[in-house]
Amino acid sequence: MKNIYLVPLILTIFSLAVIAIALQLDTSPEMIVGDSMQARSFPIFLMILKLILIGILSFQFYKNNPKPIALEKYHTWGSMFLFLLFYLLTVYTDMFIGIFVVIFLMSILWGERRIWVAFLTATITPGLVFLLFDYVLKIRFPRGILMNLYYG
Amino acid sequence: MFEQAISAMASVVVDPYLLGLIFATTILGVIIGVLPGLGATTGAALLLPFTLTMDPVHAIAVLATIYVSATFAGSITAILINTPGTSAAAATTFDGYPLAQKGEAGRALGIAVISSTVGGIFSVLILCFAAPLLARVAYEFRSPEYFALTVFGLSMLASISAGGAVKNLIGGIFGVWLSTIGAERVTGIERFMFGNYELYEGLHFVPIFIGLFAISELLVQSKTVNKIVNTVSMKAVKLPTLEDYKKIWKTILRSCGIGTFIGVLPAEGATVASMIGYSEARRWSKNKKEFGKGSIEGIAGAEAANNAATGGAMVPTMVLGIPGSGTTAIILVGLMVHGLRPGVYLFTEQVEKVYQIFGSMFVANVMFMLMGLYAAKLFARVSLVPTQILWPIVFALSVIGAYAFQGQLLDVWLALIFGVIGFFARRHGFSVAPIAVGLILGEMVETNLQHSLKMFDGAWWMILTQPLALMFLVFAFLGLCGPMIFSWITKQKD
Repeated sequence: MKNIYLVPLILTIFSLAVIAIALQLDTSPEMIVGDSMQARSFPIFLMILKLILIGILSFQFYKNNPKPIALEKYHTWGSMFLFLLFYLLTVYTDMFIGIFVVIFLMSILWGERRIWVAFLTATITPGLVFLLFDYVLKIRFPRGILMNLYYG
Repeated sequence: MFEQAISAMASVVVDPYLLGLIFATTILGVIIGVLPGLGATTGAALLLPFTLTMDPVHAIAVLATIYVSATFAGSITAILINTPGTSAAAATTFDGYPLAQKGEAGRALGIAVISSTVGGIFSVLILCFAAPLLARVAYEFRSPEYFALTVFGLSMLASISAGGAVKNLIGGIFGVWLSTIGAERVTGIERFMFGNYELYEGLHFVPIFIGLFAISELLVQSKTVNKIVNTVSMKAVKLPTLEDYKKIWKTILRSCGIGTFIGVLPAEGATVASMIGYSEARRWSKNKKEFGKGSIEGIAGAEAANNAATGGAMVPTMVLGIPGSGTTAIILVGLMVHGLRPGVYLFTEQVEKVYQIFGSMFVANVMFMLMGLYAAKLFARVSLVPTQILWPIVFALSVIGAYAFQGQLLDVWLALIFGVIGFFARRHGFSVAPIAVGLILGEMVETNLQHSLKMFDGAWWMILTQPLALMFLVFAFLGLCGPMIFSWITKQKD
């Protein structure tokens, strides 16, 4: 199978999975739903519509034979990995530690050679954003190592 | 009503806080517009959480100002570095950059500024007159009409510029499906929540939009790291001469009409408007050969149309609750968050606020004209901010903005997940705007279909007996199948 059919295949699997899950949803008594639809009907209808469109898309691919898409450079995959790192740092340490680390590493990953510039960006940005949201917009941030120190 | 509208619009000028806010946001909007990748939609998505604590009028004024000023500012980099700051300015590069290369960058920018301002102001005036009239028509709408209208809105996704029709429709349906996550509104049955009760009320638009527009753009920009940019030098912005005006006034007027009309169409936006404005300018021009080599008519045609689309796109957004573009989808969310229910009631119960918003858009158009004329050179330098500094900052604003909306970390994870989904969608030629529009319209479609079915005792075909509903459904059918039918007829004739 050609790589170009990977997208229609993923979309088809997704649509079928949604239909399968929708079929497991509870049904409402007739007296509540009346002449209207059950909660499952609309998502199933959408997915059937989507499957038809996926069929048309696959036919277009077959007819036009689009070029395969080149794989991205390490910057893109690295950035996605940093999102994962951000998740782990936020859950296990503190959201602002996560932001600091991600900004710093992303700057370096994207080609910033001056370490001090990356460090300053990683320090000043979350600092300013924190001050704005905390003092002006009165947002309470999630507790973590730093926020526990701040909120007490 | 007229007096009330005028006094509400005038109140913008005498409110120093609002004026200051529009001024500051115009500067921000122009900066956002000149930074390649950070267009009006991304800018509005990032700014939305900052507007949460503002007064409703101020909040919407901020978002609307970002919309008009960033749409204009995309032309600055389009002319000076051949990189459109926003997709709406893509057509401006065709003639703007060649003219700049001839040493007339100042003249090109002057034409762009004047055309954009005329386009913007024209569309705000149309908005002031057309929106209340359309609201009166919409007063007659019931569930079948609203259902048909939203179907029409979704069908228009097929013609959004980026991505193919089929891909856009798949994206739109995915967006509508996202709106079904959470408890079903009539029966309360939980759908696709997987035991996560934070999703009981459904997915909220703000984190999803931040993910789809800002985070996905960050990943797209990661592909352009180390790109070398060639800039064109410029002394100062030059106002068009009388000779220039004689050459372009018809083009500007035509593009004003085209842009406003395209903007009014649900799901169409400034990008489509500028492309059509440009091609129509070329079609009607006596100097077709100049196009692509630095034609001032080309610049005027594209720029007047894209800014005219901003006011036009606000019409369906505010009157019908159907966004006219990606950015107006965010403005629509802003209206909802601030308790301003889009639709007829907005024009009957909160007229003053509506006209203050229109007034703010008017003022924003004048302000970006002044900034374009006197500070374009300065703003152009902003575009040279290194990507390795800019995009990590966007990351910080995105995650904190997503969190700030409801104060829950789930929204941050959703923003990141939808950022990755948006990136892969774009990688494979799917535009993210249809997903956003589908998400907004999803609830409207389902709820109005349910109400219609109840109204007609389950006889769905009775929807077709309602004249307005039938008209919208015919439009939807033509929107979807019209191009295919016409090309088939043309082939048969040939």
